[in-house]
Amino acid sequence: MVKSDTLEMLRKEPGAEDMDFSWLDDPAAERGMRVVPSKRGLTLEDISVGTYGDPPEETRNQSGRMRGSAPRPDAQNIGAHWIIKSESWSESAMMLYEEALQRQWSSATDIPWEEMPELDEDLELAMSQLCTFLTQVEFIAGDLPAKFAPNISAEHFETGLFLATQIMDEARHLDVFRKRALANGIGLLQAGPGAVGLLAAQSFLDMTASLHLVGEGFVQSMFRMGELIAHSEVDKKIFRLAAQDESRHVAFGIMHMKHLLKNEPERREEIHTYLDRMEGQVGSTPNQSGLTGGGDTTEALAILLGGGKSEKQLDEGYTKLMAVRKRQFNEYVHRLDVVGLSDRRERMHPRIRAFLEPKKN
Amino acid sequence: MPDSTTQASDEEQAPAKQADTPPEFKRPPLDMRWANAPTERPPLPKDLGPEGFTLRKADVGSYGWAPDHWPYQNDTPRGAWPAPEDKRGLLAPYTIYDKHEVWAENAADLYELAIRERWAPATEITWGSIEPLAEHTEAALDQIYTSISEQQYNSNQVLMGWLGKISYGYHEVKLYLSTQVFDQARHVEAFRKRALSNGGGLGVQMPGFMHRTVYGAFKFTEFIFYTNILRASFLLGICEASDKLARSQADRELFEHTANDLRRHSAYGVDHLKYYLRAASVNRNRVNTWVARGEAMMAADLQRDTALREALILALGDTIEEGKAALKELRAAQLQKYLLTLEAASIYNHGEALVPAFQEAIESP
Repeated sequence: MVKSDTLEMLRKEPGAEDMDFSWLDDPAAERGMRVVPSKRGLTLEDISVGTYGDPPEETRNQSGRMRGSAPRPDAQNIGAHWIIKSESWSESAMMLYEEALQRQWSSATDIPWEEMPELDEDLELAMSQLCTFLTQVEFIAGDLPAKFAPNISAEHFETGLFLATQIMDEARHLDVFRKRALANGIGLLQAGPGAVGLLAAQSFLDMTASLHLVGEGFVQSMFRMGELIAHSEVDKKIFRLAAQDESRHVAFGIMHMKHLLKNEPERREEIHTYLDRMEGQVGSTPNQSGLTGGGDTTEALAILLGGGKSEKQLDEGYTKLMAVRKRQFNEYVHRLDVVGLSDRRERMHPRIRAFLEPKKN
Repeated sequence: MPDSTTQASDEEQAPAKQADTPPEFKRPPLDMRWANAPTERPPLPKDLGPEGFTLRKADVGSYGWAPDHWPYQNDTPRGAWPAPEDKRGLLAPYTIYDKHEVWAENAADLYELAIRERWAPATEITWGSIEPLAEHTEAALDQIYTSISEQQYNSNQVLMGWLGKISYGYHEVKLYLSTQVFDQARHVEAFRKRALSNGGGLGVQMPGFMHRTVYGAFKFTEFIFYTNILRASFLLGICEASDKLARSQADRELFEHTANDLRRHSAYGVDHLKYYLRAASVNRNRVNTWVARGEAMMAADLQRDTALREALILALGDTIEEGKAALKELRAAQLQKYLLTLEAASIYNHGEALVPAFQEAIESP
């Protein structure tokens, strides 16, 4: 509230006859905020204080009013926002948002394109095929969170901000893999069935389970093994930078699922149904294989991993590919442990279970 | 972070320690039909220059040609050889397959520009430059910042919703719009951070007529008119009045960075609207409907937002009379910017066709 003598002074000023000043006289929003930057600058976590830092578990705010600001009784009702915090909340959203801003990179200038070596033709073909696949599927991981963004309440806006960074990251991934395919003389090659099926997710939890926990998790594991796949420093750098981005997305999803399970434990079985689908226990094909391999992409990966297409190289390539798969599945299980779904191991498709390391006590 | 699964670092590139092969695995014979896909072989990029390997330089030949209608209803990248019809998987839920519905010639360039011009509010605003202000001045600034943060959240989340409707053939547009999403997210948090920095807090929410209109847009071009032409012109007008509004280096930086972002949004809006209008003469009537609707709703917000009006008066002048005169100037500047933006998009002499309530809201603020 502005001091009464200040208000009095304002009201007496010439021209103030039609001024209301009630927004100064009796503000409904908390005042006296003096947030200060931490060592990482002025972050979302730094300003998440007082009433401004207290996202309600349930809200009737359907007007787009930002958390903490003063309501007006005649505000338009949008009616599209989720009212329950756990529907979309992730404790990591603020930190990951700020991290995303600090770790942005440019596919145009941060990749040493001019140092691209001439590769053996089979390797270049395989890399271009892999990049065709990645160009095809990467922005599905932008389109899917985009689908749910209009439903995020302004009371829980940090989730919306994080999703914006994911969309930006996925745009860069589409862009960088497209550029990579076009950078060394081959171009894009054979498109496949893609990942449109992911867009069928009908809830935020369906999305975090199928996209973040499984889909992006598998892509992240593959990118982390970019040292084995790549045959140039240019390609290694692309995989390294993309893996960093994917890690944020995966972390967001994991923390969302963890928050949701803590607040709505009755939805545990619902999550299992999404994973049943992604692992291939429901439906005709395991969705995860379409995300990181299968068909043309598998063969391209094997050639890259083996260093060529001779019988010996292919044997080595497929052996390494199985190591990639093994890492993908074991990291998936680790993510399940973090979420609180350790029981999933016993329910997993036998085809996947065969890859798992023994459970550590 | 709970554990290493959720952390990204440069050290994560360690190769696998061992390679296990499940007992049932049998290597398939070499196929490599994918290597024979009859796609165009692009030239090697050269003379990249300081802007690097841009989309414009990468997408040459057939890769750079966006057709008037995109024929593939899945995520086939432009320039790749499409999978046979029976192997394309699910048809996608995209609804925009015609170029004139989204295209702007400058989208690829704006995408790269946005990446070059990115900024981080947490670390690139001189937060320490903010000095204590008279309480009513601080409250006035906070009210303005509250409105900016709120409207950008609205534009941001609705734009994200549109992304998932645009087919893959126009990737430049999807990429550019992703940068706009990213920019708007920054505006949401940057102005919120400023409002909470100097002894104040957030102000009163907006009436929301424009919010509802933005949500309710049935067509992408309609949405772009509301956000990138109308709303961006008015917000840009505020940012460009920073000589009067800003009280600190931090305020000036906020306005300058935001203005820079908004100029890109406006540039996309202009180029797209122009393209849309050129595509068919009937589109001019459609745009006129959206223009009238947008102006009417903007007028409703301007006329009913007492808190924002009074905040602008207090922030723009040292006295109320001075502030009222300055608000009138600001509204005139915003209108001028809006009319020039429409003119750039090939909508001429619109000053004579403004919705009366809108004109009234501008002339008698």
